[in-house]
Amino acid sequence: MSTVNDVTPSRFSIGGMSTGQKITILVTILFLAILIFATVTTTGFYSVQNFKAIINAAALVGIIAVGMTYIVISGNLFSLSVGTTAAVCALTFMWALRFGLVGGIIITIVFGAVVIGLQGLLVGFTGANPIIVTIAAGALQEAVAIWISGGVSVYPPDNGPSFAFLASPLFGIPFPVYVFVAAVILGEIFIKKSRFGRGLYLMGESPRAGRTAGLPITRLTTGAFVVAGVCAAIAGILIGAFNQSGTMTASGTLTVDSISAVLVGGTAVIGGRGSVVRTAIGAIVIASISDLLLLRGYSTPVQLLVLGVIVTAVVILSYLNSERAGRS
Amino acid sequence: MFETLRLETQGITKTYGHLHALNDASFDLRVGEVHALLGHNGAGKSTLVKILSGVVHPDAGSVRIDGEEVSPRNPRHAQDLGVALVDQELSLVPVLTVEENLRLGARRAVSSSDLRTLLDTLGLEHVKLTTLTGSLPIGEQQLVEIARALSRDAKIIILDEPTATLSEPEIDRVFAAVRRLAAQGKSVIYVSHRLGEVLTLCQRATVFRDGKVVGTKNVADLDRAGIVEMMLGHLPEFRTGSEVRTPENPQHISIRGLAIPPRVPTFDLEVQGGVIVALAGQVGCGASEVLRALAGLVPNSRGDVELGGVKLSLGSAVKSRAAGVFFSPSDRKEEGLFLTHSIVDNLVATRLPRVSRGGFIQKSLQEAVVSKLLSLTGIARERRELDVGVLSGGNQQKVLVARGIDQPNSKVLLFDEPARGVDVGGRADIHELIRGAAEQGNVVIFHSTDLDEVFDLADVIVTMFAGRLVNVRTRAESTPAAVLTDMTHGEGEISA
Repeated sequence: MSTVNDVTPSRFSIGGMSTGQKITILVTILFLAILIFATVTTTGFYSVQNFKAIINAAALVGIIAVGMTYIVISGNLFSLSVGTTAAVCALTFMWALRFGLVGGIIITIVFGAVVIGLQGLLVGFTGANPIIVTIAAGALQEAVAIWISGGVSVYPPDNGPSFAFLASPLFGIPFPVYVFVAAVILGEIFIKKSRFGRGLYLMGESPRAGRTAGLPITRLTTGAFVVAGVCAAIAGILIGAFNQSGTMTASGTLTVDSISAVLVGGTAVIGGRGSVVRTAIGAIVIASISDLLLLRGYSTPVQLLVLGVIVTAVVILSYLNSERAGRS
Repeated sequence: MFETLRLETQGITKTYGHLHALNDASFDLRVGEVHALLGHNGAGKSTLVKILSGVVHPDAGSVRIDGEEVSPRNPRHAQDLGVALVDQELSLVPVLTVEENLRLGARRAVSSSDLRTLLDTLGLEHVKLTTLTGSLPIGEQQLVEIARALSRDAKIIILDEPTATLSEPEIDRVFAAVRRLAAQGKSVIYVSHRLGEVLTLCQRATVFRDGKVVGTKNVADLDRAGIVEMMLGHLPEFRTGSEVRTPENPQHISIRGLAIPPRVPTFDLEVQGGVIVALAGQVGCGASEVLRALAGLVPNSRGDVELGGVKLSLGSAVKSRAAGVFFSPSDRKEEGLFLTHSIVDNLVATRLPRVSRGGFIQKSLQEAVVSKLLSLTGIARERRELDVGVLSGGNQQKVLVARGIDQPNSKVLLFDEPARGVDVGGRADIHELIRGAAEQGNVVIFHSTDLDEVFDLADVIVTMFAGRLVNVRTRAESTPAAVLTDMTHGEGEISA
């Protein structure tokens, strides 16, 4: 069998690197340049205290972004309501503490998994657009949460268990950071090594090919959303513990930030490629840049502007890369 | 005039890494000539086509059009130079009208009446310019694609496997159009695996092997065996007689009253494991739909299907799969393979449970499965981590077919055009894989529009026409003429 003409250039093999890998490398170089620049020019940046602040800021977004990575890799774009779910979970956690700390944590995680998992079921079973489904689900959650809570903050029961350790430092490092690291390691191993993860990557590249290969499309899609739900719930628990209360305003920019982390990390928007570790890098890069801007006295709009520019640049970069290849 | 050179390439070389896709290839094309390019998948003909149409740039060598040295920078520049490519993959926009598609990307104005005439000459008199392209049958879309190339007033028209998805009458229309073009002094490069077409249509043929030009000959001096010998370097052995397979535990499928609206009103068939059944029919005959319905990919299909006495519930790919039905689609790029995943990932995609323990993929289990399949397909071990998307069509197709075979729980294997767009050697390998699966007792049903393939692979030939079963015969009692008659006309009672 002749194989001489077998390898043709494509977006997947230029220079032996994939688009995602190139983006990760570019982002890392950019990031190192910023770090050096920041260290030299900005007082207070190069300090243990500040790095702790950065990693702490990256942790909550990062945990949610781990789950978002599963959705993106599965080829279902994004969930636009994970931030809302995290806030609802903070509320749920405060309420559920009456069943004890462990009970509260379990109830909250199951709640988050069910709420987001149902959206996955809808997307997987009917082929509905995930963006629309998750926007609708976000509005529903917000409405129901405000209706039930009466629009005010939810506080833990007076004689409830202590949960202070969830928000306090352990060996000098904030507890959420440990959770973030664990989520990244477990999330990465699970998506790379498990049968479920393999199915997600395959389905993400081509749902039609997945169907003919006999992959359980509905189950895989639901599964990806369940993982995102668990991650959002864990983030919600940590947010609730930190604020010592639950409020819907806590959702803030969590959704957008977690999507940005996935994209800046170089996971392909179209699905089928990417990794949880890349997302973690993305979350840390974004947190560092926000921190730097903050230290240099720039206001929130400027931070948002810079974030927007970075994400746009990454999207254009990956588009150019796949365009160039599309012809061959 | 016939001897005037329209196009001449000298010493074209193109390498990808250390691989020579084309090595010192020289080729010429006369005015008013239909010139065939022949060769294995990966022999170099597609690379030459890509260079001429500006998709790929050569490392060395020259291209002359009408004596003037040119280097097509991109497809648009090639179009300006008078080169038009009709790719084997359709590039029409389904939601645009025929006229809009014809005008898409055009560099010069063409009147609607000229477009009308163009369609008429291709036998598309009944197709309105305002028809949505996506509503036409695939064969007619292919003709529209050819019309588009013609509307560009090209001097050199490259047809890459133009008949792969066409039915006999459609092929005749393409042939007529090509002959008319040649008579008008246009030059046509005709890339095809169908030797019969080359012999009827072309004046000269250039054969490629391993990136090199083996030779250019007058078709009048060639016959089938001669061309195959140039392509392969040796003569293949044709299968003779009927082999009898006696698998230990033959499976059995019974299909009764299978209805797949709108194309197939009703379909009945019983097949015993170990026998290879061909559903022979043209594009649109309903055979694809039958296979897809059995695979659970057609939601509104109905009927009684039993596997070894157990009822199969239709409409769910996961359920069909669990029942032991495996389907290999005809469109390997769109719904067959995971192009950006490795050969290994693709080979195990259909058997993830088998290579997993406790929900996690086990490297050792995966390795055992992959090793066996690689040795069965003859794909080199070193290539196992390559993305399937960079393989040649033939090797992609081998990976696709290999995914379905050698599964302990399989009962029924369905292949839609198992050797679509694959050269003679690759096709023989693929057929060998499928025979092996039948030997293990599986029911094997495949659909093909290609008589050679039907007669090479099938033990039983089921002919189909316009959504209905026409005849069931063993291969021994079939003749190509009879099968072709069924495929193209059906029987009086059915076509009425």
